[in-house]
Amino acid sequence: MTTRRTSLQAYLLSAPALVIVALLFLFPSIYNVILSLQEISPFQGPGDGEWIGLGNFEYVFGNPEFWAIARNTVFWLTALTVLLRIVFGLALAVALHSPVLRRWKVRGLARTLVLIPWMVPQVVAIASWRWLLDGSSGVLNQVLVGSGLTESGVAFLAQTSTVWWSIVAIIVWRELPFVVMVLLAGLQSIPDEQYEAASLDGAGRIRAFRSITVPNLRPVLTVVVLVTVIQTFNNFVYVWLTTGGGPGTYTAVLATELYSMAFFANKLGAGAAIGLVMTMIMAVFAVLYMRATRTEDQ
Amino acid sequence: MKTSRYIAAAAVGALAATLAACGGEGAEPDDGVVRLTFRQFDPADQIQGLVQAVDTWNADNPDIQVELETVTPNNPQQFAREANSGSGPDLIHIALADAAFLADPNILLPLDELMTEQPLEDADSLLATDMTILEETTWAIPWTADTMAMVYREDVLADAGVSGTPSDWPEMLDVAGQITDSSGGEVSGFCFAAGAQQQAAQWFAINYYMWNNDFQLIENNGGDWSVGATQDQLAGAIDYFNSFFTEGITPTSMQAITDYADPSVAAGLGDGTCAMTFMPPAAFRAVQEQVDAELLTAPMPGGLDDGSTHLGGRALGINANTEHQDEAWQVVQYLLSAETFETYDQYPASASTITQLDVDPAEQGFVDQLPHSVPFVRYIGAPITIASLQELVNQQFSAVYSGQSDSATAAQAIIDAIERELQG
Repeated sequence: MTTRRTSLQAYLLSAPALVIVALLFLFPSIYNVILSLQEISPFQGPGDGEWIGLGNFEYVFGNPEFWAIARNTVFWLTALTVLLRIVFGLALAVALHSPVLRRWKVRGLARTLVLIPWMVPQVVAIASWRWLLDGSSGVLNQVLVGSGLTESGVAFLAQTSTVWWSIVAIIVWRELPFVVMVLLAGLQSIPDEQYEAASLDGAGRIRAFRSITVPNLRPVLTVVVLVTVIQTFNNFVYVWLTTGGGPGTYTAVLATELYSMAFFANKLGAGAAIGLVMTMIMAVFAVLYMRATRTEDQ
Repeated sequence: MKTSRYIAAAAVGALAATLAACGGEGAEPDDGVVRLTFRQFDPADQIQGLVQAVDTWNADNPDIQVELETVTPNNPQQFAREANSGSGPDLIHIALADAAFLADPNILLPLDELMTEQPLEDADSLLATDMTILEETTWAIPWTADTMAMVYREDVLADAGVSGTPSDWPEMLDVAGQITDSSGGEVSGFCFAAGAQQQAAQWFAINYYMWNNDFQLIENNGGDWSVGATQDQLAGAIDYFNSFFTEGITPTSMQAITDYADPSVAAGLGDGTCAMTFMPPAAFRAVQEQVDAELLTAPMPGGLDDGSTHLGGRALGINANTEHQDEAWQVVQYLLSAETFETYDQYPASASTITQLDVDPAEQGFVDQLPHSVPFVRYIGAPITIASLQELVNQQFSAVYSGQSDSATAAQAIIDAIERELQG
């Protein structure tokens, strides 16, 4: 009797949380699946769509540019920026963890400075970078032309040779602090005794980094990679506000294609289909993330 | 145990109350005053005159108070979401090209009955009604009108020995080239926002060029839509605009900008490194305030030929959910009146009201061109939206400017994409 009452109480106590989860997460996900199977415009009300089965998926996958856009999303937007963030983030985290900064009493200042890009709202960061990279009056071009490195300004955001690198630079700059802070926390959790023991055994700094730092950081690195992949793959604003997918469709990604489909072409169902494809890809990473964190918990 | 139950019950109750509050409308005080919300989407710096006009209305009509709400940029989908769920503002500001989308799901109030009961003063002189009257039902009333005109520095043209703006597109290329050449490449003869983004302003110039050369992207043959241009015609248009870049007349940096009044365009007009561009009246006034130099306007190349430029603008609609139809209609009538346009710095979409305005001589280009401009009605009702056409064209032209594609390939890509959409 007592057990049943306790069980009922547990359900009752968790009910508000379950209702919120259902309303905020489950319902939109199910509704997105419903939309992806309908022909419906953003001007129509819920329930006014026409069921068309998998027609939206055929339409999306039949777009000759879809696979190029998917490649952009996977390689340029996600893989490259995550890789660069991990490499630079690890280097910066190690630098910030260095005893030298503590000796010079600038560790706090350095860590605060690293956080600045993260404090800047994405939209403001992108607007500032657009201004820096402007092909005629941009600060970077003024420096390049003024120092004689180039004869005239470089249209960074209009040339295929520079546009993706510009977007990658913006993403890495803005999102690097998150990686640095998480890795720094990982570094701080490594016991000093391990380094002292290695030092007594004659290990140099590079050897200690390879044999102590990297293995100890591996679980943190795994989580950071998965989280940044999920955050970046779905990101819309960096590309949209920087280039709008141009020049041509050279920098278009799945999130911008989704927006164009839903709100320019008024094909809400096709947009939902792209969203569902993105969700399914990200679900793989979400499962990996959960497995990684569960292993950590255990 | 009891305490835990009370906590659980309170949590469920609080959640239910929160959700109930989300779905409710704000209660209006019962003081006999009708309160209307009028949502408009132009930027705040362009509507000071409208704010003044609404304040005047509120002062003169204590029983019908209007609250002006600004939601910028234009987002008809947001209004549709609200209206479809039974809410939304009473009065709505609509881009002419969006009227058909909002009419289709019946979220706008048909206005014919109200127009019969309380007729508009100058209903016959309204412009662009073919964008707002669909299947013999009036869904919105055209309110303001605009078009794109040439904006130029007369002194910069004079320095290059050019006495006036070009009257057609071939002359445009020649004159712009002459200005750039005579400055040794320092001055861009023609600068324009040539970005790939859907909103990029080049869309308008490209259409003006096409319409002036007697072709268009799509055409309606009695309800049967087809591509309105050949591959050669489209490739010719692409080559024409690409010439500005290949001949060094327009800086490559323009390929990354979207807005006709982008700071780099405004700065170029200000320091004389941009001789000519194009923009609508509101943007022209904003740029005029930013620069010290004297700017003038003139019709676009071919702009005095009927149907070679577009008549854009805004319309006013009433939400089908409003509880105050008559009062909303009274406000619409006021907003359409000459009194409103005494303070609201826009051209009225009314042939008779526009003649009553005292227009700045610098804006003569707009005034000269407007009577020859036509709405985008030629693209309305097609299975492909204007926004999609806009994105497609800007992307493919941009692909050629950036060297990813040649004009013939880009032209074919435009045709293929349109055909794909028209086939459904």
